[in-house]
Amino acid sequence: MKKKKAEDIVLEIKDKSELMIDLAYSSLLYNNRTIAKEVYDLENLIDNLYQNLQKDSLEEVQKGKLSVDDALTLMKLAQAGEQIADAAQEIADVELRDVELHPILKMSIRESDVVFTRTQVKKQSVLCGKTLGELKLGSETGMNVIAMRHKDNWLYGPNKNTRIDPEDILFAKGPEDGEKHLIDLASGVTSKI
Amino acid sequence: MKEKKKRRIFGRLQRTPKEKWKKEEFTEIEYEPTPVKELLTEMKDISELIIDLAYSAVLFDNEEMAEEVKYLDVRMDKLNYDIRMMAMMAARTKEDAEQLAGILQVAEAAESISNVAGDIVKMLKDKTRPVIPNILNKADEKLFRVEVSKNSKACNQKIDDLKIESETGMRIIVIRRGDCWIYNPQSDTKIMADDWLIACGTDEGFDDLNKFLKGKLEVLD
Repeated sequence: MKKKKAEDIVLEIKDKSELMIDLAYSSLLYNNRTIAKEVYDLENLIDNLYQNLQKDSLEEVQKGKLSVDDALTLMKLAQAGEQIADAAQEIADVELRDVELHPILKMSIRESDVVFTRTQVKKQSVLCGKTLGELKLGSETGMNVIAMRHKDNWLYGPNKNTRIDPEDILFAKGPEDGEKHLIDLASGVTSKI
Repeated sequence: MKEKKKRRIFGRLQRTPKEKWKKEEFTEIEYEPTPVKELLTEMKDISELIIDLAYSAVLFDNEEMAEEVKYLDVRMDKLNYDIRMMAMMAARTKEDAEQLAGILQVAEAAESISNVAGDIVKMLKDKTRPVIPNILNKADEKLFRVEVSKNSKACNQKIDDLKIESETGMRIIVIRRGDCWIYNPQSDTKIMADDWLIACGTDEGFDDLNKFLKGKLEVLD
């Protein structure tokens, strides 16, 4: 059972580190210090997860419940995630310095193959009152919501139980042709998901 | 719509020079004027592609994909040199320097990510890796590999016309055609019979895409 837990931690590190990269680029694109600071917090969280994983795996090996090879693999995968998290922090760092960002930074992020978008959900939108799991925005529009702002609260890496309310601001990433679809859905221009 | 960008290595058929790039790793750096924006966009795109490619290599136990990761990693080193040189040439004032430092910081981060990918594919040399599929297949978004059947309606169609990503949520990371690769296929990239696609997405999305590419589904909807 314990071994399963270690695998889950590795997966959490991998998922969170990838989310951090997306958040870091969004923070630059939208000059958003709140998101940039969240990247810092997540980096701390990942550091802790990584340290716990190392300790847990070694203990499992000592008890003979985990093979040395498996423990090494787990640690190497976790390390990869931890280093990606560090890179995300380096990117977010640029936003937190009090220097105006070079326009090229934003242009490069926007011209990339995967676009980031920000949109506010209007009252008349079909998205209102539904959970991300019900909406399946990812598989229907190609756009994945990476962060949400609900009044003054932020939610990073929302899951399928997260509900969208009117006035929420969605930060999403996906292909260029999915961007317009999402914006149209959020603004109520279309109700066809 | 923004103008069609010049694509350096993405969306086109690419045959990796088998032995040549290994020598390139330590060739002399030469100043070659390239817009910083172009360099940074490519670095960002590579940094995202290379991680998925690295995980695919260990997941599917594929040595060839690992070679591609190494090739992209070497290319990233070169781009990082290029962008530093360009930034130095562009700095005229101390305000320039402050702003350009931010660009270099982001470029450096993209480069570190590609180094991580290089470390991930080194795991291919390890003897036992059954835990890797266990972990990667538990994620919400997984990596899938599929071959395009001759009977599929996708054959000879542009990715843009098929709307694969906006219909299924599956993002095609790379296409293997014969002994060539197409990284980050673009909207005008055509899918051909016998192509191998590596795509990332949910089980559900893959189910549709798989049926479509195997010719069991006429249209994606």
